[in-house]
Amino acid sequence: MTILKTRKLTKSFGGVRAVDHVDLSFEGGKVTALVGPNGSGKTTLINTITGIVPVDGGEIVIGSESFRCIRSSDIATYGITRTFQNSRLIQQMSVLDNLLLVLTKRNVFGALFERHEAHHLDKAEAALRRVGLWEKRNEQTENLSYGQRKLLEIARATLMRADIYFFDEPFAGLFPEMVKIVSMTLGELRAGGAAIVLVEHDMALVRELADHCYVLDSGKVIAEGTPEHVLKQENVVEAYLGK
Amino acid sequence: MEYLIHIAIIVSLYAAGAMSLNLIVGETGLVSVAHAAFVGIGGYAVALLLTVAHVPFVVAILVAVLISGIVAFFIGATFLRLREVYYVLGTVGFNVIVLSIFLNWSSLTKGPLGIAGIPRPEIFGAQLSTNISFLVLALIFVLCVYFCSSFITRSSLGRALHAIREDEAVAEVFGYSTVHYKLFVFTTASMLAGAAGALYASYISYISPYGYAVTESIFVLAIIILGGLGSARGAILGAALLVILPELLRFVGFPPEIAAQLRLGSYGLVLVLFMLYRPQGIWGTFKI
Amino acid sequence: MDIAVQIGLNTIVAGAIYALITLGFNLTYSTARFFDLSYGAIAVAGGYAVLYFYKYLDFNIWASIFLGTLIAGALGFSVERVVYRPLRKRKATLTVLLIASLGVLTIIQAVIAMLFSSQFQTLVRDTGAIATLSVAGGTITLSQVIILGAALSIMLCLGLALRFTNFGKAVRAIADDDEVASVVGINSDRVIGTVFFLGGVMAGVAGIATGFDTGLLPTLGLALLLKGVIALIVGGIGNVYGGVAGAFLLALIENLGAWQFSGEWRDAIAFVVLITFLIFRPQGIFPR
Repeated sequence: MTILKTRKLTKSFGGVRAVDHVDLSFEGGKVTALVGPNGSGKTTLINTITGIVPVDGGEIVIGSESFRCIRSSDIATYGITRTFQNSRLIQQMSVLDNLLLVLTKRNVFGALFERHEAHHLDKAEAALRRVGLWEKRNEQTENLSYGQRKLLEIARATLMRADIYFFDEPFAGLFPEMVKIVSMTLGELRAGGAAIVLVEHDMALVRELADHCYVLDSGKVIAEGTPEHVLKQENVVEAYLGK
Repeated sequence: MEYLIHIAIIVSLYAAGAMSLNLIVGETGLVSVAHAAFVGIGGYAVALLLTVAHVPFVVAILVAVLISGIVAFFIGATFLRLREVYYVLGTVGFNVIVLSIFLNWSSLTKGPLGIAGIPRPEIFGAQLSTNISFLVLALIFVLCVYFCSSFITRSSLGRALHAIREDEAVAEVFGYSTVHYKLFVFTTASMLAGAAGALYASYISYISPYGYAVTESIFVLAIIILGGLGSARGAILGAALLVILPELLRFVGFPPEIAAQLRLGSYGLVLVLFMLYRPQGIWGTFKI
Repeated sequence: MDIAVQIGLNTIVAGAIYALITLGFNLTYSTARFFDLSYGAIAVAGGYAVLYFYKYLDFNIWASIFLGTLIAGALGFSVERVVYRPLRKRKATLTVLLIASLGVLTIIQAVIAMLFSSQFQTLVRDTGAIATLSVAGGTITLSQVIILGAALSIMLCLGLALRFTNFGKAVRAIADDDEVASVVGINSDRVIGTVFFLGGVMAGVAGIATGFDTGLLPTLGLALLLKGVIALIVGGIGNVYGGVAGAFLLALIENLGAWQFSGEWRDAIAFVVLITFLIFRPQGIFPR
C-alpha cells in the first residue's frame, strides 16, 4: 500500500532546481533507498516533505489527501517522521528527556498537567535499551559520542509510531555493532508495516536492506528499481563517476 | 530597620518580576524587552481602580492581572510568529508605545504627573499599612511565583519549552505547535509581571510613567543574565545582588544623578561581561 | 499650502538622518550578520563629542564635526573589536550578540549621561541667530541644509565605494557568503573592522545632525536606531535603496502624524508603522 507519494515535486533555491519535478512512491512494509551523488537533492527532498523548507511546485500525496505545502508541526499528525543527517537533538537536555519529549502530550494544557509519566517512561526505557543507551539516560546529550547521538536520533524516531520514516544517512560513521542495531531497528519498523525511506551512500547496505531504489542526480530521478538492477545501469554509474 | 524592610520588599518584587521574565527568556529562549510595560500596565490598572473606582484590593489586582494577560496575549499572538530579531524589535516597540500612552494620555493616566495616593492593600478587612505587613505579603507573593515557575518548568510543558529554546524547528517536526507554547509562556509571565507591578504601585503609593521605560526592561534582563538563565533561584539571587549592591553606592557619596547612571552602566556591563565570559550566569541551567 | 511645504521640508531633513542610520546599520548587519542594538548609541556619542568640542572647548565647527565623526567611528570600531569579534569567533548565537549589543547600548548611554548630564542639549551655539532660508513658502535652517548636503554626499560616496572599490567588493562578498569570501582570501576581520568604523562615522554624522536639528538626549540612541530599522523593514530588508526610500516614507508619516496629533506621539507612531509592516508586509515595500 502506498503510504506517501510525490507528484512533480519541485523546489528551487535562487536559480537552482534542487528538486526538479520529482515523482516518487513509498510503499508500506518496504525499504526504499534514495541514492545519488552529493548535491543531488536527497536531503532537500526530505526537507520539503517534512515541511522544513517550502515547496515551490507539485504536490505531496498522503492517503487520499494531497498537499501543496505542509507545515512541519503537522507532519507528525500525518504519520511522517525523520532523522537528520547531522543529528539534531536537544543538547542541553538529558538523553531520557529527549525521548520523553516525543512521547508526552503535545497540547499546551495537556503538557502542563501531564498525568501519564510512568507510561511514557516505560516506552522510553524500552527504546533506550534497544539501542543500548539506557545506562546513559541521565547524561546531557551534548556529552554523547557521535555514534551514540545517531542511535538516540533513531530511537527518537521509532517512538513516533509513524507510518513513514525518513532516515537521512543513519549509518554514516557508525561502528559495525551500531550498524547492526540500526539495521535491526529498520527491519522491525518494516515488519510493522511502515514505509522506510533511506538516504544512504554505502552501496553494500543499500543492496542488503533496500527493496526498492530511486537514483537522483541534479534534482531529477534518473533511475528506479531494485538495487541490483539500478546500480548496474550506465547512467547511474556515470552520475557517480562523471562522464 | 525600616530601611532593610524596604529593601527586602523591593528585592522581592524584582525577584518576582525576574522569575517571570526567566520563564520567557531563560526557559523558552525568547529575548523580551517589554517586561517593564506589563509591570506598568499592572501598576496603572491598580492605581486607577483603587484611586478612582475604589474597588477592593483583591479585585483590583485580579483585574490588573487579567488586563496584563489580555494585552500580552494579543501582543504575543502578533509578534511570536516572527523571526527572533523582529520579535525583539516588536517587544521594544511595544514598550515604547506603552510608555508613550502612560506619558501622553493625560486624561486617563495624569501623564508625567503620575498618580498619587494609591492605598495599601486591604485584605479581609486588615489594611497592610505597616511596611512589615507588606513585606509578608511580598514574600508570600514571591513564594507563589516561585512555585508557579517551578511547576511549569518541571512539567512536560517545561521540557517542551527547553526544546523550543534550543531548536524550535526540531520541536515542530516532532509535533509541537511552538507558537502556542510561546504564547502561553509569554501571557502567563506577563500576568505575573502585572501582579508584581500592582503590588509595587500599592507599596510605593505613587506611580509615574518614567519607571517603565525600556531601561527597566533591560534591568530585569540583566538580573536574570546575572543570576543565570533557566533558574528561578538565580533570578532571586540576581535581584538581590542588583538591587542591594547599587544601594551601597549611595553610602559611597556619589551625587544621586551619577549614582543612577552608574547603576545603569553596571547593568550594561553585566550583560556584556556575562555574554563574553559566563553566558550561563551564576546559577543558570542553560548556556545561551 | 505652506503647511504642506513645511512638512515636506521637515520630512526631507528627518528622512536624510534616518537614511544615514539605515545605510550604516545595513552595512554592519549585512557583514556581521546580527542586529547591533548599540548602533544608535554610537550616533548619539558622535553628537555629544561635537557638543564637547564645539560648545565646551569652543573649537571651530568643522574641526568639531571632524573630531566627532572620528570619535564615533573609533567607538564603533572598538566595540566590534572588544565585544562582537570574540563572540563571533566563538560562533555565539544571534541571541548572545543581541544581548551583548543591548549591554553596550546601556553602557554608552550611561557614560554619556555621567559626562554630560541627562538634560536635553542642543548643538546650536547661538539659538537667537539661526540663519534660515525661505523655500517655496516654508523655512529651512542653515544647519538643516548642511545636514542634507552631508547626508546626500555620504550616501553617494558609500554607494560609489561599494560598487567600484575593492573594499566595496569585499563587503559585498562577505554580505553574500562569508565562508566563501574567506576561502577566496578576503580578510573578513579587517573588512568588518573597517565596516564598523565607517558605520560608526555614518552614525556619528546622523547623531550630529540630530543634535543640530532637534537636540540631544543620552537616551536617544535606541529610538534613533529603531527609526533606521523601521525604515529598513518598510523599505524591504536587504534592499539598500529600499531602506533609503523607507527612511523618507517613515519621516513623512511621522511628520503628518505629528501635525495631526501632537509631537509627543511621534515615537509611538513610528512603532505603529513598524508593527503594521511586521504583520502585514514583512518583506517591505520593495522586496529583494
